[in-house]
Amino acid sequence: MSRFVLARILASSASIAVLGIISFPSLNAYAATDEDVWNVLQKAAVAARALSYQGIFVCQTGQQTKSVQITHLFNGKNEFARNVILDGSPREVLSQGGDLVIYNQRNEKIIIEKRRGQNMFPAVLPVNLDAVKESYSLRSGTVERVAGRQSQILILEPRDGLRYSYKFWIDNEYGLLLKSVMLNNRNEIMESIAFNQLALLNTVELDWFQPKIDHKKNYVMEDEQVVIADDGTPVDWVIKELPAGYRKVGQMIRKVQGKPYPVTHVVFSDGLASVSLFIEPIPKGVKSKVLLSTMGNTSFYANVNSGRLVTVVGEVPEATIVQIANAVVFRK
Amino acid sequence: MTEQISALIDDEVAMEDAVRMIAAMQFSKQAAETWSQYHLIGDAMRGATTFSPNFKQDLMHKLELEPTVLAPNATQVKSSRVAELKDKLPATWSIAASFAALMLVGWMALHVQTQPGNEIAPIEVAKVETTEQSIPAEYLMAHQASAPSASSYYIQSVSYSESSR
Repeated sequence: MSRFVLARILASSASIAVLGIISFPSLNAYAATDEDVWNVLQKAAVAARALSYQGIFVCQTGQQTKSVQITHLFNGKNEFARNVILDGSPREVLSQGGDLVIYNQRNEKIIIEKRRGQNMFPAVLPVNLDAVKESYSLRSGTVERVAGRQSQILILEPRDGLRYSYKFWIDNEYGLLLKSVMLNNRNEIMESIAFNQLALLNTVELDWFQPKIDHKKNYVMEDEQVVIADDGTPVDWVIKELPAGYRKVGQMIRKVQGKPYPVTHVVFSDGLASVSLFIEPIPKGVKSKVLLSTMGNTSFYANVNSGRLVTVVGEVPEATIVQIANAVVFRK
Repeated sequence: MTEQISALIDDEVAMEDAVRMIAAMQFSKQAAETWSQYHLIGDAMRGATTFSPNFKQDLMHKLELEPTVLAPNATQVKSSRVAELKDKLPATWSIAASFAALMLVGWMALHVQTQPGNEIAPIEVAKVETTEQSIPAEYLMAHQASAPSASSYYIQSVSYSESSR
């Protein structure tokens, strides 16, 4: 793909035009300022959305590993991506902008799920990094080769113990994120996603943008009305003193599998990590212990507060979810 | 030998001789066949309903022709469908299939009894208490549906993938 085509695609988006040049000089070439380093990360966030590419990446968390084939196209207006999970049960995720359609094989059926999502690899970083800058510091590391390409390592470290740290490998030529690793405070890898092959895509055709259909299977939509928009019914609780850097980004009433009653679901984010808070009634006479556990990169905490079950889950350290659970105050 | 067998069947042989004859018959195919035939003749003469000559082979053959009923399928059958399923049983079901159905219905009845009712909230909490190292799948699913992490698009928690519909 010529630089000219790439430049034209990049320039066609107003949000990208402000970035100007598309060359990414190595940070080691000169003394990088704090702002330069953040600019590289900013370009990576945009490149993941504004470039057209295809490749295979491997996602690893806990004990599980999945290879994924990705085709991503930006036609100057819209973003299209098809992610085919190559290992285990067949699964495909097709996305158009932030709208996702997931084709998920369960036994003899293919369940079609609709979701919203903006952080699929390699677009794991938000385009607006202001919230991230508030809670994390960024420094550059060494140059390493990933997927046959030279890349610059950037290390994103939390300013406190309330979130995990990240290492990003940014392609020196394309500015694209090649590898992303999440680490806990003991420097143990919690999650790793990395390309092992990548090529730019020189097309605007969308003939690939469809799932592979298995005519022997039944395709069914997942049960609707899982999420009931918050009807604004006054609640008898407030959230006080959230952990630093976390903001409420959503609130809804939802059905939770196995629960006969609707559950209040509040989502918090620090710009990268997300935490869910669930508040629900608890029948009288039920004894419930405080429960805290971690599985892979996910922490879980359940507690009874003023006769209500308060549950918090998220890809953050345990201290953060306990603080969020304790921030819920019920009015008498 | 055939006369002796006839006498044995008619209970006209001394105990000592009977023991010796029965032992001898085990080594003589002809004697064993005679024993079977005399019994068959006796049954027929008394008008007793008997099994057909090739009963065993026929039964095994019919069993092979039966559709295989796999017990694990029963997990997908809900209690309300037991009656419905019973009505659907054809009247001409063979012995083998009836037996299998009996097993199936019995198993389902057992399964239904052990299934909790609608008020399962307390049980959810109890489950949380006993399995301290795992995160309840229902909360993980709800969290990932509204606030997906980068890996949750590709890797589903084990309990999530097991919760088939």
